[in-house]
Amino acid sequence: MAGAASRVHYLTDFCCPLGGPAAGRPRVLCHEPEVFLSTGREFVYVYDQEGGQLTAVFQFPDQVWHLQLLAPRRALYVLCARTGLYCLALDSLSRSLSQASEDKEDEDLPSPVIPVDPDACVLPDATLCAFTVVEDMLITLVQGPTQWKMQLFERPCPGEEPRPEGQIGEVELSTCTPPGGVPGKSAAPCFLPVLCCVLPPGSRALHGQPQGFECFMLEEALFGLLFGADATLLQSAVILCGLPDGQLCCVVLRALVTSRSAPGDPKALVKILHHLEEPVVFIGALRTEPQPEEAAGGLLPGEDVHSDCLVALGHQGRTLAIKASWNNSGNLVPELREYCLPGPVLCAVCDGDGHMYHSTPSDLCVVDLTRNGISWNLEKPDQAIGGLPSTLCPDSLNICSVVTLCVSSRAPTGGTELLALSAKGRLITCSLDLNSEEPGPARMTMANAGQKIKELLLDIGDVSERVSFLKKAVDQRNKALTSLNEAMNVSCALLSRQEGARPISCTTTIAWSRLELRDVLMATCVLENGSSFSLDQGWTLYIKVLTSSSALDLDGAGSTFTYTIPVDRLSPGSRREVTLPLGPSESGVLDLPVTVSCWLFYSLREVVSGALAPSDPLEIPYLEEYPLNLPKQEVVCLPLCKRTVDMLQCLRFPSLASSPAQASCLPGPVREHVETFLETCQAPHSDLAGPASLRAKYLPPSTASIRVSAELLRASLEDGHSGFSLCSATLQWLLAENVAVDVVRASALSSIQGVAPDGTDFHLIVREVAVTDLSPAGPIQAVEIQVESSSLADMCRAHHAIIRRMQTMITEQAAHGSSPPDLRMQYLHQIHANHQALLREVQTLRDQLCTEDEVSSYTAAQKLLQVYKQLRNPSLVLL
Amino acid sequence: MSHLIIPAVPKAPASCLDLWRQKNDRLVHQARLARDTSPSLRRQRLAQDILEKFRGLLHTLQGLPAAVPALPLELTVTCNFIILRASLAQGFPEDLTQDIQRSLERVLETQNQLGPKLEQGLKELWNSVLHSSSLLPELLPALHCLASLQAALWLSTDHLGDLALLLQTLNGSQTEASENLLLLLKSWSSPAEMSDAPLTLQNASALRDVVLTAFAYRQGFQELITGNLPSALSSLHEAASGLCPQPMLVQVYTALGTCLRKMGSPQKALLYLTAALKVGTTWAPPLLEASRLYRQLGDTSAELESLKLLAEALSATHNPEAPKLLIEVDLLLPQPDPASPLHCGTQSQAKYLLASRCLQAGRAEEAAEHYLDLLALLLDGSEPRFSPPPSPSGPCMPELFLEAAAALIQAGRPQDALTVCEELLSRTSSLLPKMSWLQENVRKGTRKLPHCPLWVSATHLLQGQAWSQLKAPKEALSEFSQCLELLFQAVPKDKEQGSGSTYEDLYSCSDVALQQLRVAALISRGLEWVSSSQDTKALNDFLLSVQICPGNRDGSVYLLQTLKRLDRKNEATAFWREAQTHLLKEEAAWSVPLYLETYLSWLHPPNCETLLEEFQTSLLESHDL
Repeated sequence: MAGAASRVHYLTDFCCPLGGPAAGRPRVLCHEPEVFLSTGREFVYVYDQEGGQLTAVFQFPDQVWHLQLLAPRRALYVLCARTGLYCLALDSLSRSLSQASEDKEDEDLPSPVIPVDPDACVLPDATLCAFTVVEDMLITLVQGPTQWKMQLFERPCPGEEPRPEGQIGEVELSTCTPPGGVPGKSAAPCFLPVLCCVLPPGSRALHGQPQGFECFMLEEALFGLLFGADATLLQSAVILCGLPDGQLCCVVLRALVTSRSAPGDPKALVKILHHLEEPVVFIGALRTEPQPEEAAGGLLPGEDVHSDCLVALGHQGRTLAIKASWNNSGNLVPELREYCLPGPVLCAVCDGDGHMYHSTPSDLCVVDLTRNGISWNLEKPDQAIGGLPSTLCPDSLNICSVVTLCVSSRAPTGGTELLALSAKGRLITCSLDLNSEEPGPARMTMANAGQKIKELLLDIGDVSERVSFLKKAVDQRNKALTSLNEAMNVSCALLSRQEGARPISCTTTIAWSRLELRDVLMATCVLENGSSFSLDQGWTLYIKVLTSSSALDLDGAGSTFTYTIPVDRLSPGSRREVTLPLGPSESGVLDLPVTVSCWLFYSLREVVSGALAPSDPLEIPYLEEYPLNLPKQEVVCLPLCKRTVDMLQCLRFPSLASSPAQASCLPGPVREHVETFLETCQAPHSDLAGPASLRAKYLPPSTASIRVSAELLRASLEDGHSGFSLCSATLQWLLAENVAVDVVRASALSSIQGVAPDGTDFHLIVREVAVTDLSPAGPIQAVEIQVESSSLADMCRAHHAIIRRMQTMITEQAAHGSSPPDLRMQYLHQIHANHQALLREVQTLRDQLCTEDEVSSYTAAQKLLQVYKQLRNPSLVLL
Repeated sequence: MSHLIIPAVPKAPASCLDLWRQKNDRLVHQARLARDTSPSLRRQRLAQDILEKFRGLLHTLQGLPAAVPALPLELTVTCNFIILRASLAQGFPEDLTQDIQRSLERVLETQNQLGPKLEQGLKELWNSVLHSSSLLPELLPALHCLASLQAALWLSTDHLGDLALLLQTLNGSQTEASENLLLLLKSWSSPAEMSDAPLTLQNASALRDVVLTAFAYRQGFQELITGNLPSALSSLHEAASGLCPQPMLVQVYTALGTCLRKMGSPQKALLYLTAALKVGTTWAPPLLEASRLYRQLGDTSAELESLKLLAEALSATHNPEAPKLLIEVDLLLPQPDPASPLHCGTQSQAKYLLASRCLQAGRAEEAAEHYLDLLALLLDGSEPRFSPPPSPSGPCMPELFLEAAAALIQAGRPQDALTVCEELLSRTSSLLPKMSWLQENVRKGTRKLPHCPLWVSATHLLQGQAWSQLKAPKEALSEFSQCLELLFQAVPKDKEQGSGSTYEDLYSCSDVALQQLRVAALISRGLEWVSSSQDTKALNDFLLSVQICPGNRDGSVYLLQTLKRLDRKNEATAFWREAQTHLLKEEAAWSVPLYLETYLSWLHPPNCETLLEEFQTSLLESHDL
């Protein structure tokens, strides 16, 4: 393997067109210190390598498709898309440029953008697709509606009015299907044809011309073989043309003299050499064997290289190489070989040492066409002379997405220097020392050892950067895959076990705590991972707190708060606690009951997108080739638990001294000390506007009661409450989720005095009663639960909470199948009728409340309260 | 009434319509001025600008719903746009049909006829438009102008059937039966334009004249090629009487000359050719035709004089006329065909024609000079406009060298001939098999020689002849022998097992040429042996030549002569009996290269017929004896 050593130097940065430079036709040319460059947009830049700065920027009316420099005449020919060919005289331009910069001394723009004078257009033709300049000739290729047409002109000079008789010849090439719409319209063809000029050996034209780019000299045998005896005898230049349909054809330039009355006959003038069957993107020539002069005693500097191998490159990497060789009987025969190189090929270039460089989006490769080390001359004399390698082994140079290349004319000692424009618009030089593969360690001298080591280190740096980048991408993908796998396991575990203990659980507990001088009801959610998988990146705990509508707000829908807490790595067995405030709010209102629901969320996007979006799509194009399609639902949602917090759970009992945590808590809502003081002072006058606590003093407490048959209660409370009276057991059951339950149990209380969340007093009394009227079989033993509070709202909430518990209990009991005792139906009917009447009254009163004026509404409200009070004290008992 | 509204001061136009109309007129004026702008690039850019402005104006007009008052202006702008576009593009771009179609659809829109008939072709559209009952008379001039553009387009794309239908519709019903396009075109009269109509670049009647002339020209040429001479004559007369641009007129007169020459009236033909020369723009076609005429008449010196003038005429780079920004006759003609009788080719072709005619006519000195002149021009390379005469079959440059050498030998300049041959061999040395291989094979005794291009053998043959003329028999014999060695190695074209088929022309050759070359080489070597008095060796060669080509008269005569000289009468008699049958069948016309033809002419025994008669009688005598 040839270990091509390369050194990359960054020169400067150019803007790139929209859609990447591949959309345009970037070109770079190099002549001594000057670099001429187009990025595919409408600008041509002139960059000075020695000064390291832009010296000029020319602006053309449309995209620039091609550049060619005629070095001895200092003329730059520019093909502008859909406009025509321009010719810039560099000397006069630099003069005007310096004048311009003198004029605008104050502006510190290093390179003013110069719009190109329309008079510089020497060949206006909207269908012009390619051109090349040879000696005093200009060869163009225009796209007709059905055919490519090659035209030959006398070369127009900068600033010179082209003569109408300037056209010398014209011939139509093969039929073409114009790619990308009608020429002259906006759509640009996908591929442009490639033109290059082949000179016979010994011709004068090449001197002073940048060698190897679009113009090269072929050795006699190959030249004669390819282009025939006529071209050889006439010593005529030949134009090679690679078309987007894959044809490779040639036209002998001297034969291309036609007139309007005598059009060129394609059969006589155009010879098709080969068909590549994919768009031709490059034609070049190489010297694969040492030249005779070179073998004799070194090539003189400035002497022309006579290439002995013609290469053509297709877009997909199909490569044709042609050499001339002699067969066994000594006849000249062409040796054609087709190879496949990695594609798609963005650009290519040949150097003078038998190497071809070609760039793909992922790499810049070098191919060696010489037959190094094969000593056919001595060992196999019968073998045909010459010969092409049977396969080509491209060596990577580890530079990706180079869109245009040229061999720098500033040839450094030993090796090749390439000038390249990357897809991002960076101009780089790449010094290659391809000979470094030959010498062993013995040949390394002390002098260049340091340099070598430096270069090696630089290379290692380049390579390791590339490796780390790729590794990162792979790691990211692996991580995403692992994460997805775990997520899958977790989802299965949670969803498969709907009942019973789930491997991942969330429990919510309620507690009062003091925050910022006020008491706040806190909910604590504990997420516990009992499974064998860990919850990793991408998982989120999602908690929704839904409050019921306020009693004062008749049609309020209640408010919802959501909390999303990222679960950052919850390994098996560990737990995470999240505490959130439930209320009361600033105004001291706590709208009970509150529902707290928990879910686990898994975001696919968060996990996968990191791996999907590499930082630079051009650097790892293969990731782009297989896009991962995310499902529309980018989130997996797993419900965990739901808990309703009601009044009974929020009651506090400061009178119970045995609860030290609660004793420290000051009863009552938050309030400023000064405010309290003021209110106390104003107390006698605050009948109407005073806060609820004060009002409570003057109002009789609201009460509500519920009767449950003792039998029912006993049946449901029998386990866990043995040894307690029924009343005490009932109270314990009611306050089971309250922190005070232990005190209640300890002192076997049957009634308890507490404080509601808003600070009003609250009394809960449980006592046994006998209901006589109901059953014909005698009195029914029942338990009456009475709720007493000075705040009507609190009383209602507590009543609602008790009813809810009763409902749950009764449904559970009903499942056990207990049968109710006999009842007196008429009495029940009577009670039912009473209640119906009361409900009707409620309805009318509420209607009145809406329609009537303030005074009457007050009385209506009073009445309504009375009715509600009656309704809350039913004579019914729950059996 | 409308012209009353047009204000005298253009600063305050009365309506948008007037404003647009003024814009159209202004643009037409600008286009007329642009015609005379001198540098062609500037003219082209100016014309392009005007075209874009016309396009903009057209878009403006077509942006509104079609309305009767605006239609004449809209159609006129469309016509101006199409005329300028076609003249700039030097042809009719395909999308011009869309412009015409759109205009017609808008005419129909105003007639409320378009609704159900959407998607109709151009033919049907024209039919509906022209048959529309409510067509306004002021619309007619513009519509006829558009129709003439359509006619031009259909003529240039060879849609003659559609064209005939359109013309029938335009002419009304009276000439409906006629299928003669020429008649139809002649009887088409466009309505007179109103004085206040918007300006056009070219009006309907001018366009009609162009179409008429172009059609007559096309038809005349077609009939000339197909050999329908009388009708060709009448069509060409029609074209000549039309409004022809001068270069076209030259062509028409020349074609008339060709036609008359073929009809057997050379004097009339000469009159037309003189007329063509008097037109004075291009001289080449009448000169070429004149050379053909003189050749037919057998006047070689006049023929060669015409060819000389032709070469001179072609060397002058004629300035192509700048496009007049109008539709002209040549726009409607098909691309010139190399097979056409008026195809003059390039200067080098004319020079080659002159040189080869000289050689064929036996004017060797002149021929040699012309060939040397031609070669010098070709090899110098400083004159880019001088290309080798195109030949569709294989390389022609080597043959040119060989013909030059043959002419020089014939002119008695063998030394110069040798130089030409050396030049040919040295310039193509890279294509020849490597000499080292040759020697190696010889040393090994394999005698397997590589193939060589045929012209290499031919060069050796001519070199031998030159040496022979220089009285250097040793060199001559060596060259002939080398030639023969190579020739017997060559494989004729059809027997070759092709490997690289694209590149075969280096080594392939025709059967007849190969055979004749072998014969020529053998006879030449034989003659060389004869002159050095080695009759047995000569006999061998002559015998071989006759075996290769039985019935070759020259070979047979030399063989008989040699046998006679060696006094081998019996063999001579036997050979004579055998050869008689072949000799009678001989003289089938071969097609061999000119240099070989010339060479073979040198080998004719000076008094062949008398010699043969002598044999006849002597043989009979001996038989009688």
